[in-house]
Amino acid sequence: MVKNITIFTTNTCAYCVMVKKYLGSKNMTYEEVNLDDQPERQAEAFKLSGALTVPVTLITRDDDTQDVVVGYNLSKLASAIA
Amino acid sequence: MGTKKEIHDVVMVGAGPAALSAAIYTTREDIDTVLFEKGVIGGLAAVTDWVDNYPGFIKGVAGLELSDSLQKQAERFGADIRLGEVTKIEVDGKLKKLTTSEGDIYAKAVLIATGSDYRKLGIPGEETFYGKGVHYCATCDGAFYREKKLVVVGGGNSAVQESIFLTKFATHIDLLVRGDSMRASEILQHELAKHKDKITVHMNTVTNEIVGENGKVVKVLAKNVKTGKIISYKTDGVFVFIGLIPNTQFLKDSKIELDNIGMIKTKSNMETSMDGVFAAGDVRSGATMQIASATGEGATAALMIRKYMDPHASTGY
Repeated sequence: MVKNITIFTTNTCAYCVMVKKYLGSKNMTYEEVNLDDQPERQAEAFKLSGALTVPVTLITRDDDTQDVVVGYNLSKLASAIA
Repeated sequence: MGTKKEIHDVVMVGAGPAALSAAIYTTREDIDTVLFEKGVIGGLAAVTDWVDNYPGFIKGVAGLELSDSLQKQAERFGADIRLGEVTKIEVDGKLKKLTTSEGDIYAKAVLIATGSDYRKLGIPGEETFYGKGVHYCATCDGAFYREKKLVVVGGGNSAVQESIFLTKFATHIDLLVRGDSMRASEILQHELAKHKDKITVHMNTVTNEIVGENGKVVKVLAKNVKTGKIISYKTDGVFVFIGLIPNTQFLKDSKIELDNIGMIKTKSNMETSMDGVFAAGDVRSGATMQIASATGEGATAALMIRKYMDPHASTGY
C-alpha cells in the first residue's frame, strides 16, 4: 500500500499537471513541492532522479520501500502505485 | 460467456487541440466520444510557454491555459478523456477495434490526432545527457537553469519563442542556427532582437556534439559551415528545438497509409485509407503545424465523422 507520494513540480510544467491528474484519477493524495516557490529543494529532486527535470514523483510504501518516477510515464506510475 | 464489448460512437486517439476541438463538436451533438491520451492533454500546445497567434486572445495566452480551456470545454459537453495509449487500430466487421493500454475498445468511427513529438539531433552526447543537461521542453526544465548559461539549437518559431522564455532563468543563451537565416516568423525575430543582451545568435552553425564531464554537460561543439571552424560553446545545458516528427509509429503495421515522412494521408474529407478512420492536426499529411489549423481541422473532421455516421447529416453545403 502507498504511504505517501511527493511530486516535485514547477509552475509551467504541463507534464507535472498530468501526473497530478493521473494520481487524482486514482484517488491518490500527494504532497506537491513547487520548485519555483522552493528552489532550495532542487538539489533534493536531482538527488532522487539524477536528472534536471520535473516532474519527479517519489512514492513511499507502508514498508518504506520507494519508487521514483521521472517525467510523465503512465506505465511506471501505474506500477509504482499498484 | 464472452466479455461484453465496449462500443462507442467515436474514439479519438490523442487529446491535443485537434482532438479536443473535434470532441467539442461531436459531443455537442450527442455523439458519444472517448479520447485516449498517452502524454499531455493539450499536446505540444500545453508545453508551449506562450501562444500569441491563436485567434481570440488579444494579448496571447499561456499554452497550458489554452489547453486547459479546450479540455474543459470538451468535457462540458460530455467528452470522456482517458489517460492511456492506443497501440493498434483495425477493422472488426462494421466497427473499428482499438487495442489500448486500458483494454480493447470499439468504435463506429475513429479520429487519429496524435500530433507530433520533438525531433532529436542524433549527435554524440545527446542521449547520454538526456534530462541531465539535454532537454526538449523549456517550460518543464528551464527553471533548473537559474543564473546558468544555455545553448539552444534551432532556428524556427519554437527555438526563438523558447529562447525568449529561457531568458527568465539563464544569464546567457547561445542560439545555434544551422542555416544562414532563421525560419522563425518576422515578428518573433523582432522580439528576439529585444533580448540581444542575453541571447547571441550564431548562424551557419551546425551542432556536432554535446560534451560532458562528471555526468554534467559542460560544452557543445559546433561547426561554422561557412568557415569550417569548430567552435566550442561552454554551457550548463542544451535545449533542442529542431522540428517535429509525427506520432505514427503505432500505425506502421496497419492498413492506414502514411506519406514518405510518416504523416497520415487523407482524402479531402479527412478520411484515411481505412474506412471510418479520420485524421486531423499535426499528424495529417499537409498539415500546417499551427494550433489554429489543428483546431480547425478537428472541427472539420468532426463534421465529416458525423456525415460518415449519418449520410443525411449536413456539412454546410
